[in-house]
Amino acid sequence: MLKNITLNVNGDNHTLAVRPNETLQDLLRTGLGLTGTKKGCESGVCGACTVLIDGEPRNSCIVLAVSVDGKKITTIEGLAKDGNLHPLQASFIHNGAVQCGYCTPGMLMSAKALIDKNPNPSEEEIKRAFGGNLCRCTGYVKIIEAIKGWKDFSGDKQNVIPGDATGSVGRSLHRKDAPDKVTGRARYTGDMNLPGMLHGKILTSPMAHAKIKSIDTSAAEKLPGVKAVITWKDVSETLYGVSPARYDEHVLAKDRVRYVGDEIAAVAAVDEATAAEALDLIKVEFEALPEVFTIEDAMKEGAPVLHEKYPSNVNVDVNYTFGDMEKGFAEADLVLEQRYQGNRTYQSPMEPHATLARWETGGRLTLWTSTQVPHYVQHMLARVLEIPMGRIRVIRPAVGGGFGVKAETTPLDFCSAYLAKKTGRPVMMKYDRKEMLRHGRGRHMQYIDLKIGVKKDGAITAVDMTAYLDGGAYTSFGIVATYYSGAMVPTLYKLPNYKFKGHRVYTNLPACGAFRGHGCPHPRFAFESMLSVIAEKLGLDEIEVRLKNAMTPNTLTANELEVISCEFKATLEQARDASGWREKKGKLPRGKGIGVGCGGFVSGAGYPIYRSDFPHSNAMIRVLEDGTASTLFIAASDIGQGSDTVLCQVAAEELGVPYDSILMSDCDSDIAPLDLGSYSSRVTLMAGNAVKMAAANVKSKLFVFAGRKLGVSPDELEAKAGRIYAKSDTAIGLPWDEAARLAFSQGGPLVGTGCYQPPKKLGGKHKGAAVGTSPAYSFGTTVVEVEVDLETGKTKVTNCTDFHDSGKVLNPSAAHGQVHGAVVMSIGETLTENVQFTGSGDVANPTLNDYLIPTSMETPRIHSGFVESHEPRGPFGAKEIGEGAALPVIGALANAIYDATGVRITELPITPEKILNGLKALKDGSRP
Amino acid sequence: MHIKELDYLSPATLAEACGLLHSGGPGAKVFAGGTDILPDLKRGRVNAASLISLAGLDGLKKIEKRNSTQPHPSTLYPLPSTLFLGPLVTPDALDRSALVREIFPGLSEAAASMAANQVRGLATLGGNLCSAVPSADLPPSLLTAEAELVLTARDGERRLALKDFFLGPRKTALRLEEILTGILIPELPRGTGTAYDKFQARDASALAIVGAAARLTVKDNKIVKALVAIGACAPTPLLIAAAGEFLAGKEPSGQNFARAGELAAQAIKPISDLRGSAQYRREICRVLTIRVLKRAFERA
Repeated sequence: MLKNITLNVNGDNHTLAVRPNETLQDLLRTGLGLTGTKKGCESGVCGACTVLIDGEPRNSCIVLAVSVDGKKITTIEGLAKDGNLHPLQASFIHNGAVQCGYCTPGMLMSAKALIDKNPNPSEEEIKRAFGGNLCRCTGYVKIIEAIKGWKDFSGDKQNVIPGDATGSVGRSLHRKDAPDKVTGRARYTGDMNLPGMLHGKILTSPMAHAKIKSIDTSAAEKLPGVKAVITWKDVSETLYGVSPARYDEHVLAKDRVRYVGDEIAAVAAVDEATAAEALDLIKVEFEALPEVFTIEDAMKEGAPVLHEKYPSNVNVDVNYTFGDMEKGFAEADLVLEQRYQGNRTYQSPMEPHATLARWETGGRLTLWTSTQVPHYVQHMLARVLEIPMGRIRVIRPAVGGGFGVKAETTPLDFCSAYLAKKTGRPVMMKYDRKEMLRHGRGRHMQYIDLKIGVKKDGAITAVDMTAYLDGGAYTSFGIVATYYSGAMVPTLYKLPNYKFKGHRVYTNLPACGAFRGHGCPHPRFAFESMLSVIAEKLGLDEIEVRLKNAMTPNTLTANELEVISCEFKATLEQARDASGWREKKGKLPRGKGIGVGCGGFVSGAGYPIYRSDFPHSNAMIRVLEDGTASTLFIAASDIGQGSDTVLCQVAAEELGVPYDSILMSDCDSDIAPLDLGSYSSRVTLMAGNAVKMAAANVKSKLFVFAGRKLGVSPDELEAKAGRIYAKSDTAIGLPWDEAARLAFSQGGPLVGTGCYQPPKKLGGKHKGAAVGTSPAYSFGTTVVEVEVDLETGKTKVTNCTDFHDSGKVLNPSAAHGQVHGAVVMSIGETLTENVQFTGSGDVANPTLNDYLIPTSMETPRIHSGFVESHEPRGPFGAKEIGEGAALPVIGALANAIYDATGVRITELPITPEKILNGLKALKDGSRP
Repeated sequence: MHIKELDYLSPATLAEACGLLHSGGPGAKVFAGGTDILPDLKRGRVNAASLISLAGLDGLKKIEKRNSTQPHPSTLYPLPSTLFLGPLVTPDALDRSALVREIFPGLSEAAASMAANQVRGLATLGGNLCSAVPSADLPPSLLTAEAELVLTARDGERRLALKDFFLGPRKTALRLEEILTGILIPELPRGTGTAYDKFQARDASALAIVGAAARLTVKDNKIVKALVAIGACAPTPLLIAAAGEFLAGKEPSGQNFARAGELAAQAIKPISDLRGSAQYRREICRVLTIRVLKRAFERA
């Protein structure tokens, strides 16, 4: 039943025969190969697929191709004309409005439609025009700026993109990947299409807890178009997971499922529709087992057991004490105790997970995967498939955001590899939004029982904290999350006596994993809330109490973590002054409030996830033979945060060449050396150090040849701005590229390598001492202002002032972009985000319509500033920013809401309903 | 996600569309903007053998003022003066229409509050009514407008008051072979103001937790007529008769609006769901009712 239509797409006329059930999105992506139109939600919510139909912005995922017969379609690929970027595209690049890039094409198309009608839109008009273009990285701030300033890039100015020869570090240089991302050229895994490619889908359990009695795949196998069906019989029974001490996941379930979403079988077929149809034909006979969905129920005597190895359902148990708790609390003038409750939140990157697997002739596997951790994927596939790593090639194309949810090997990685092997054809597998939520790996919901003792002057004498984490059905990152929950508390404030107990509990829900700030946001929410209560009770200023206890440089924390650089106090002071804290605190009218919160994070974990002595980050730089460019080979995974750009800046600075002459290689395990990936905020510091070493290595080789030519000892040479010269007399020198040509002519390929290993023996001797160790720690303070509608309880965040100590800031635009994104994401986590479940354990809000991440309308004014410390262990003094920036926000918001309303909410998310109930309780005279 | 195989038919006339709907049987679905049915088809919540697109029927895209001398393409309207809204009018068009803004600003507000820019240009008024999602934004305002619907089938057409149209969540009085072909808004007396307000968890791309519409006609500082309708608080959008009856003949005072708010909160039948508890919805319904009454009064 094909229908003929004619379309004009980006100026070209097409006559096409389309299926009536085909969306415009699929026609553009698959039929015309225009993959710049992205697939984010497939239900008209995220806006990543926005195209212009006769000039009007529309979601191509909810438009049938057949319905646009005769229309004029403009996609992102049609925005640049005659090789010149559209001013909007140039403005996006220049303003740092691009991070992961997955929302960018849709944003640009909406922007184009807006400025065509209204060339001078106000901020309010821009925000409103983008309510249907969701972004998870940028917090919308720089996107709004880019649209406001688009005219600056019209006419001749449009392609002025600086990249001169002066120093690279510390400058807001344009992202390396931005041109590809604003033009739709950037390729994400799901955009790929190989000859003969099949499409795979996974059958997951509809039961939260059940025995599998039988699996019958015969009907599915007979369906025309189905090429392979696999079950546990076809795959390794080796258990996998994240931490070697708790591998507890099966590739495909053999006899038991533990949550709605547990993987049972997988199908490869000629297209996605056939694969989905085949899943419906697989008959699985279950025998229901008792289910348990809450921490409380799972910890009860006689509760259903998920894993026999852990009969109490507690699969991680932490207990440590530093100092003398009895003495500490005895010294206190005030002791407060309170239970706080977090929420189960989901990363919701705009790009859903995708993997493409192909077996090469000769038995090597190539896997393209949307991952933060190509190395761990390679390692885990080697373990499970029982083949050496040398027979697995992992390539990471552009990644559309991760925030932790892409930090582990996924069922798509395993199943695509098995299906590709069985069929001998490439197999593409993707999650849709519901599958993502069902697979889970979001933030652990934690109960935090917190007890703090303080002197009258606000000095903390003791802290006793117990965390209960809802782990879901498997361990995933659970060990680390549990340890982090406790380990990071003493890094921010000096705690003379500290006790932590952590219990992670199995429940029949999707497993929880690592999410920005890993394990720390809920304890931070609890701690920052309680500190403000303490200040009020003691009649002290909230910021003064924090200053009183704030961490200082060169300190060993209560739990034996080494803090070297630390400008925490300065962040408190600057956030206080820039926000007008003194003028506002306690002086705002009812309904308006101001609050403060603090946080910080590791700059990379001190130890790898599985034991090895491998350096954590490794880099190679190869200088092009004529010396006009150098390629950086590194597998550190830029998932949108901009680390590739920062690493190129580090290389340029150390080599002494212009930033534009540094090229980034593909992230491909066959090409670039091992790097542990993008997690624990590690890339800038660790990969940055490796790159700096590789560049220094190149330079030292180069100086031998240059020195010989100049008659100067290599030790006496310096390289800067594309020139090599004598330190003593800058007139004695030669151009950098000339030196490189000399080096190649006389010595062959000019290559440098670098490897970074964190300092040995970080951390104490107690059990779990490895978690929380890091070469360096970030610190930050956020002050937020809110307006609460006292009749409905709805909170609007109006202002946010954030100051961070991230060490030396290598790229200010990128660093501010991380802060903006973290602030807005945390606003969502505080106010609206919560994964909820039906009575039978299925996700109740699996779409972007129900799981509410912030839109452009939720973006407050954000003032982001840095207090630069110099971290001796960081490249050029740099530390992390990506995760630390998220940590102060939740507590700050809770405190601001209290200031506005008098209602102290201790359970996340802080919904309007909770605030209204609190207001009512205040009115009735009972404490909320 | 994908849509199962189906046929897509593009009739050129209303009669042809009615004929196709008749011959297509239960598997044939009327297709307008597609913003509801396409995600539903992808999720398997709806099945369709064929979609009958109304896109070719330009008469259904109009917004215009009519009187009895200007007949609808297929019928005569005895209403003295009417605002005719075609079912294919998009929320975007409603929002931008100067005529609608002048006559019925509450409806413009409701249209502007929907979903997001891209969707507002695709979705249709007819779809918003026929999908009969309890939280839909346009029905409350149209209920206060005392709108009537023209429902057309192969063998004729009928008129139905909007208040009798909604039967339950995703259930309407639309018969299997009928197409909604017009929405008629009777002329509003002088001194009438309208308003819509929506409570949502985020300020774009979100469903209403409560939607409230009000219409007030005021003369000599007395309320001549009042209508209040609430969305998302019952299986169907509800016209709150008690509020209207209470306000009629009274002064447009804050106190009276407050009482009307209480009456609205009592009249609804909310459920507790992901977006809020029943009790909370009642409270928001009360607050929003007062707010829209005040705003409608300011516009009266």
